[in-house]
Amino acid sequence: MALLEISGLTKRFGGLSAVDDLNFSVKQGELLSIIGPNGAGKTTLFNLMTGFYKPTSGKIIFKEKDITRSKPHQVTRSGISRTFQMTSIYSQTTVLENLVIGQALHAKSGLCSSIIGFPSANRERKKIQDKAEEILSFVGLEDKRDKSAAGLTEEAQKRLSIGLALSTEPELLLLDEPTGGVNMEEISGLIDLVDKIRQLNITICLIEHKMRMVMSISDRIIVLSYGKNIAEGTPDAVANNEEVIKAYLGERCVF
Amino acid sequence: METLKNIILSKTGIWLLLLVLAVVIPPMVGGYLTSMLILICIWTILCFSVNLIYGYTGQLSLGQAAFFGIGAYAFGLLTVKVGLGFWPAFFLAIVITGIFGFLIGIPALKLRGPYFILVTLGFSVIIGVVFVAWIELTGGANGLAGIPRPNPVPLPWGELSFESLLPMYYFILFFLIIIMLLFSRLVKSLIGKTFIAISYNENLTESLGINTMGRKIMSFTISAVIAGIAGVLYSSYNIVISPEIAYFAKGMDVVAYLIVGGAGTMAGPFIGTFILMALPEILQIVPSLNTLINGIILMLFLLFLPSGVSGGILSLKEKFSKKRIG
Repeated sequence: MALLEISGLTKRFGGLSAVDDLNFSVKQGELLSIIGPNGAGKTTLFNLMTGFYKPTSGKIIFKEKDITRSKPHQVTRSGISRTFQMTSIYSQTTVLENLVIGQALHAKSGLCSSIIGFPSANRERKKIQDKAEEILSFVGLEDKRDKSAAGLTEEAQKRLSIGLALSTEPELLLLDEPTGGVNMEEISGLIDLVDKIRQLNITICLIEHKMRMVMSISDRIIVLSYGKNIAEGTPDAVANNEEVIKAYLGERCVF
Repeated sequence: METLKNIILSKTGIWLLLLVLAVVIPPMVGGYLTSMLILICIWTILCFSVNLIYGYTGQLSLGQAAFFGIGAYAFGLLTVKVGLGFWPAFFLAIVITGIFGFLIGIPALKLRGPYFILVTLGFSVIIGVVFVAWIELTGGANGLAGIPRPNPVPLPWGELSFESLLPMYYFILFFLIIIMLLFSRLVKSLIGKTFIAISYNENLTESLGINTMGRKIMSFTISAVIAGIAGVLYSSYNIVISPEIAYFAKGMDVVAYLIVGGAGTMAGPFIGTFILMALPEILQIVPSLNTLINGIILMLFLLFLPSGVSGGILSLKEKFSKKRIG
């Protein structure tokens, strides 16, 4: 049984189909990459999967539950979390505080008990603080603990955004260009982080443009072009697919 | 000695010093200044209500004067026309204000940015018109009179009556302090942190599994309750209320107080209200020029010090501590 099942998914903006009758599934424990030229509909797909967009038609089934019309926070609570293409962190506050906010969805204390400070609310607070520290060291930002998030390098910001997504304890993690804007030397560190996440038995969907990385870490690849699924398979199979070469490089010319 | 010095120079020290001044000064000054201080306390409470929804949750509401008016009129009507006692009417009035906040918040908070601001402004204008036009209920432009002061408190050495200014001042100061303490606990709690997170980045917060719509409605409802408390205190202090109190320009004034003082800080409402209410008094400015001067001060702050006085002090402090290290 697939963890996530997408069938007939379509999103139209006016006359343009950003995602067009898409069918695929994500298997438990795999790393599935979604590639395609700019404007192929990859980020739109993520926005549909996480409830930020409502599809024009089609269905998204996660763990045998229909989440097609769920709100983003409901999708997150059902076990899917994501990072954003434009790195999204709370740049106005410290790194640790970011991760504390990331834990807020686990808090059960009500309004009154948190204001008055019942022992249960205080215990919960302590637990959340500990968990935030745990994720801080998991993503390798211990030494930036009390630094302002705005002052982090692009690479550290990517780590923090991944840490935020992990805070929600997802079963399926959607990474939207986790190495975008990061220089070549620092990419291997981020790949190591992705590997570490896989060892936690978290399933990953990855949007990426860096082909060498995609080819080396993916179990399976889906190629989108104009919102359609034009190829699907192992890295090798996809790399040699005529359709894929055509989508990226255009028609082969024979003179 | 060293620890004593630390306490005096710390934040708590400054707050304690202000508290002592707030308690000690009024008996030494005349009735006029005491009544000024009462109004400053009331507007500071209203300013805290704007601070929650705008300063901490990032949703600029120009409609807080309407909730102030609803609280004041609900209390006035419940005591004068229904004949309820002080405390039952107090309690019911803020519940009513909270319900209004909740019901207005549901549709209004679906809108973002300028659209939300316009809805709150429109709501405020409508409430103001209702108070003027619904003459049978509110007394129209003549207002509503005969609103009671708090019940006298029996003390061993005699009865403490709130008919005179000084006890009334302490009564209102007490509420200001309680609201301030609860407020600071709220914004430091995990729920408060999610309010702040929404003001930083709403989409990110939603993606982290927080029901941002629910949290915004919660914040707006609490802010309405705080405004309602300010309204109740005002109507009990003033004995007479008239529709001007819910006039939308008052809601904008309070936003100006907050921005000048520093939105999203605990000290902001105090500093802003004090500066903008005391300044015209000190300078003996004709009341009709007040709005103009508030407007000019607000613009100057938005241009040169958008984080307000307390935000400015904080960044100055940071600069100095960095220099010392560097």
